[in-house]
Amino acid sequence: MDNFAETIVSVLEAKFGAKREALAKWDTCVVVEKNDIHAVIEFLKNEYQMDMLLDLAGIDYLTYPNHEGPRFAISYALKSMKNPGRRIRLKVLVSEADLKVPTVTDLYKVANWLEREVFDQYGLTFVGHPDLRRILNHHEFVGHPLRKDYPATRRQWLSENDYLVPELEKHLETLGYKVIQRSEEINPCDNEYLEGSIQK
Amino acid sequence: MIVLDPNGEKLNLMPLNMGPSHPATHHCVRLLAAIEGETIVGAVHEIGFMHRGFEKMVERGTWQQVIPYTDRLNYCSAMMNNIAFCRAVENMFGIEIPERNKVLRVIVNELSRINDHFICVAAAFQDLGGTTPFMYAFNPREEIMLIWEKLTGARLTNSFARIGGLYRDSYDGFESDVLAACVSVEKALKDLHACLDRNRIFLDRTVGIGKISKEDAISYGWTGPVLRATGVESDLRKDEPYYDYETYDWDVVVGTNGDANDRLQVRLAEIEESVKIVRQALKRLAPGPVDIVDPRIRVPSHKMAYQDMEGLIGRFKSVYEGIRVPQGEYYCGSECANGEVGFTIIADGSGHPYRIKVRSPSFAHVSAFAELVEGLTLADSMAILPGLNMIAGELDR
Repeated sequence: MDNFAETIVSVLEAKFGAKREALAKWDTCVVVEKNDIHAVIEFLKNEYQMDMLLDLAGIDYLTYPNHEGPRFAISYALKSMKNPGRRIRLKVLVSEADLKVPTVTDLYKVANWLEREVFDQYGLTFVGHPDLRRILNHHEFVGHPLRKDYPATRRQWLSENDYLVPELEKHLETLGYKVIQRSEEINPCDNEYLEGSIQK
Repeated sequence: MIVLDPNGEKLNLMPLNMGPSHPATHHCVRLLAAIEGETIVGAVHEIGFMHRGFEKMVERGTWQQVIPYTDRLNYCSAMMNNIAFCRAVENMFGIEIPERNKVLRVIVNELSRINDHFICVAAAFQDLGGTTPFMYAFNPREEIMLIWEKLTGARLTNSFARIGGLYRDSYDGFESDVLAACVSVEKALKDLHACLDRNRIFLDRTVGIGKISKEDAISYGWTGPVLRATGVESDLRKDEPYYDYETYDWDVVVGTNGDANDRLQVRLAEIEESVKIVRQALKRLAPGPVDIVDPRIRVPSHKMAYQDMEGLIGRFKSVYEGIRVPQGEYYCGSECANGEVGFTIIADGSGHPYRIKVRSPSFAHVSAFAELVEGLTLADSMAILPGLNMIAGELDR
């Protein structure tokens, strides 16, 4: 297993100019250039059967002691199903000036939700993501809660439901349907719907 | 919503909203389906209704204070999560836990797995209208719950593992209680199989429903019993063994079809394997310490704290400042009831976690839900959801 880690690190170093993360003392982590991430993951998936994307973990280094370099990072945890026990983590650094990261949704289906979560919690945007919106937090939520400068005790007023019908229509269109007449959003509190209601 | 289907035919679809609070969605998930008659043509789903900010909360406390939060991830098998978390942190310290601790953790792990699988199968039956199996599954589950009560003092969100040790040693009569529970689990399994295996209605409702291929399941990041139901032999207890799982005699259970029925059958068969492990572990349970002796990591016992200067300092420091996990980052995954629960841990060398990201299996499973239900009837969608064993606690965190 360790041999695998050594080979893969040297291959990635040679091919993509990646660097081994010194902080990862107990597993293998490689820092890759942000714009290479799609190519690196595709390479690992095809050549080394890293066929499962386990997790995307956003990291905000704002208050990390003695940290130098970009503020944000994303850690991609990958493992291989064909060769059990082979794991690798990839890390991309994202600076506050440019929050865009290439998407990997075309390689793994689970990446859709994982990337939405990182977007939701950290505000990093994934270029090419088909449906980038908040996932865990409410759609009216302002800010990105897992950033270190977001106070944990801040309260927000969130009241409106997600309508979700436009997303459904968009989804139907990707399935090959053509929407001719869209459904209209109604407000149940409008006067015309309050016929017979005690509210009137 | 009037649409043209891919063949150019005009359809009048009805968008139908289900959930977030619906008896069949168990916890909180919302499905918006466009239906034609009774068939779901397309669907989108939404989660996050139980998002409590686990990852933000744990950054505010010390390392030990993370443990009770992990109980609230998958609350049907709460102790498995804190064992998984403690294992990750122990690996970072590079410490080896005592033998008795390992065996106790294996027993607790496997009993939790039994509990979790029972509640999943029972709920799946309940959703399809079968109340008898629900009771069959809940009798042995209650027995295990009573063991939890004696062991930890709590029934549902119990925490037992500690970093470098356990909350306390097992109680007198633990072994006989566990053995008795094993017997009733096996009896309940017989009853459940009698209800399930040849039940025409149940088979019609579940066989071939919600099928997923191996490739899709892997691409969706599925792990645990739902992945094994598709025929992929993958279990971290065998692949990357910990706590001496490789030395126990048990088998990885795999399914063939990857449909709703397989997902439940795999769980029932896994209960059988877990009982096997528990019985073997009970034989290995020899007297000995459960905690490591290191006042910097495991809070020292009262005896040590009151008689020993080092113990007193250790107790004071670990409570007020938290234990100091070495600086660095690590991903550690453990096989829990639902699949691989992983913790990406970023430590800055202080007594507080800098960042902990949970890789929850339900998140991956539920992300496939909308695709699974497309083309099925609305009633079938609710035959699939319980089989995925969606637990909102770990889904939304």
